[in-house]
Formats: sequence, C-alpha cells, structure tokens
Amino acid sequence: MKRMLFTIVMLGMVVTAHAGQPPVSVSDARMRWLPGDLPMAGYFVITSNAPGRLRLLGAASPAFGDVMVHRSLEESGVTHMAHVDGVDLNPGQSVAFAPGGYHLMLMGRTQELHAGEEVPVTLRFNDDQTLVVNFRVTGAQDE
Amino acid sequence: MTGCAAAARASGSRFLIVLLVSLLAACGQNEPPWGLRNISGFMPSLDFTLTEASDGATVHGKDFRGKVVLLYFGYTHCPDVCPTTLALLRHAVKALGTNADQVRILFVSVDPARDTLAQLKTYAAAFGPGVVGLRGSADELKAFTRHYRISYGYGKPDSRGAYEVSHSSAVYVFDREGEIRLLIGSTDSAPVITGDLQRLLAETPGASM
Repeated sequence: MKRMLFTIVMLGMVVTAHAGQPPVSVSDARMRWLPGDLPMAGYFVITSNAPGRLRLLGAASPAFGDVMVHRSLEESGVTHMAHVDGVDLNPGQSVAFAPGGYHLMLMGRTQELHAGEEVPVTLRFNDDQTLVVNFRVTGAQDE
Repeated sequence: MTGCAAAARASGSRFLIVLLVSLLAACGQNEPPWGLRNISGFMPSLDFTLTEASDGATVHGKDFRGKVVLLYFGYTHCPDVCPTTLALLRHAVKALGTNADQVRILFVSVDPARDTLAQLKTYAAAFGPGVVGLRGSADELKAFTRHYRISYGYGKPDSRGAYEVSHSSAVYVFDREGEIRLLIGSTDSAPVITGDLQRLLAETPGASM
C-alpha cells in the first residue's frame, strides 16, 4: 500500500514536471515535400485530452525560418488561404489539419529536406504549453 | 441500350414509328451518367498561347489535340490545395496504366511574377510525367483566363513580400478533340476521375456529345 502511494506521488510529480506539455495526442503528422524553397504544408490530427479549452497558437521548427497556421477555404469555386490566429480545442475534441483545410505553412527552409525524413515541429498552445512532434516528410506525389 | 434496340425492331405502324423516334431520342439522352460533372458545351474548346516550362517553347491549345487534357490553374507558392490537387490528378492518371500517356495535366500558373519557367519546371516535374507547367505573360494569362472565365486574384504582400493568390479550384477536362467535357471538383476521388478518363479515352473521334 505504501509502495503504491509512493508510486502515485511519483506519478504526480512526473505530471507536474511536464506541466508545460498539454494533454493532447497527435497522429499522422506529415509534411508534403516541394522542390526548392517553396513553402510546404504540414498536416496532423490533434485530439485534446485537456479538462478545459485548449488553444493552438502557433508552431516553429528548426528546419524552417517561419511556420504559420493557415486555413484553405473554398468559396464559390475559388480557393484561397487565410492566416489563423489560433485553433480552439474543446475537451475530447479532435481537429484534423488536412489538405484543403487547416494546415501549417512551413516557410524558409534552413536545411535540405528529403521524403522519408522526420522533422521536429514544436506546437505552441496557451499558457506557454508546448509539444514537440516529429513530422514525416512525404513525397510531392503522395496522397 | 438493349431496350432501345428492342424498341427499334418492334416498329410497325406509323404510330409505332413516332413512338420509336421519341424513344430513341430519350435513349440518346440516357447515356450513363458521368462520375464527374458534365459541362459539355459550357466552355470554349481548348485554345491558348503560353510557354511550356520544361523547354521554354511556345505552345498552343491545339498542340494537345489527341490527348485528354486536365486543365488546372494554380501557383507554386501554394503549399496546400495545388499540390494536393496535382497529386490526386497524377494518381487518377497513373491508374490508367498504359493509357496514362494519353492524358496531359496542364498546370497554368496564375502567378507569373513569382513563377519563373525554371521554378515551374521543377514544380511540375515533382508531380511526375504528364504534368506540364505552363506560364504566360500577365497579358497572355489575362486573355486566357478571360476567355474561359477563370478567376484569380492577389492578396496584399506581407512584410517579406509574400502574398496569397486566390484561384479557381476546379479542374477542367477536355477530350481528345479539345472540347470541354467534365469538371473535377474538390470532392471528387481518384477512382471516379480514372473511371471517367477511361470512358473519354475509349471514345472514337467525332462521337462526343
């Protein structure tokens, strides 16, 4: 019993030590390779396990000079992109950053990238919470 | 069509002939529906003068007669919708197997200020064979897009001079004779596109519409 209590206390400390990391799960993180230094798009599915509302505010990556949260919109057959200040996540909610919708706009490559590589991207949330996610670089032609 | 053929054989009296004519007319309209949106006759036939990015040569719409053409307008600084669309089209065309060579995907830049021929060339090549990057001067582009009523526009440049380009999201499908036939929308899947392309490729010249 004492041992169990000790474990629980320890677990509590582990959680406290990582208070800067939001309780979210991220899957299918990928970015589509494009030639030269053209901006690339990053996609992923994020699910919030936070008890309250969480807000994704931005992202950064050592492989890019600038990363922005963007959203593609289609209105009367015309596509355009818009910068978004943040994306709200309600408790238990999943949001897909997917082609034709929300995506990370990755600009100004600081290094050469190749399909198959993994690139770390730090997602930034409210209350200074951050999460580092490895994005897989996919080929231009991959679906 | 079996029912139509049966109706034709059953002809006899004048009344039946009248009935038969109207039946056959109905049969003609009852061609199986296309998976994509049928826009036959709603646009001029394929006609333009632009520069091909791969070799800098001047090309005309009529140079693509004999091929089924997928016409798409975009720009290389478009990281989301344009690559996604091109990858989708490439998958749909690749699935045609040996017939893939009978189709050309024309990617026309609506951002000639940033899209140099060299940049457009590497961009088009990244999406595989059969993808043709095309560039025109601002005037050539304007003439082309006005002719087809394609809209595009430029956003305000940011502090680094980067700007967003809004553009038509549709892909226009022209048959081997350069006539407009189908429209690919953002929700159409690769198998649906492949199926309709197969049907277009199987048409004998002169049998369209």
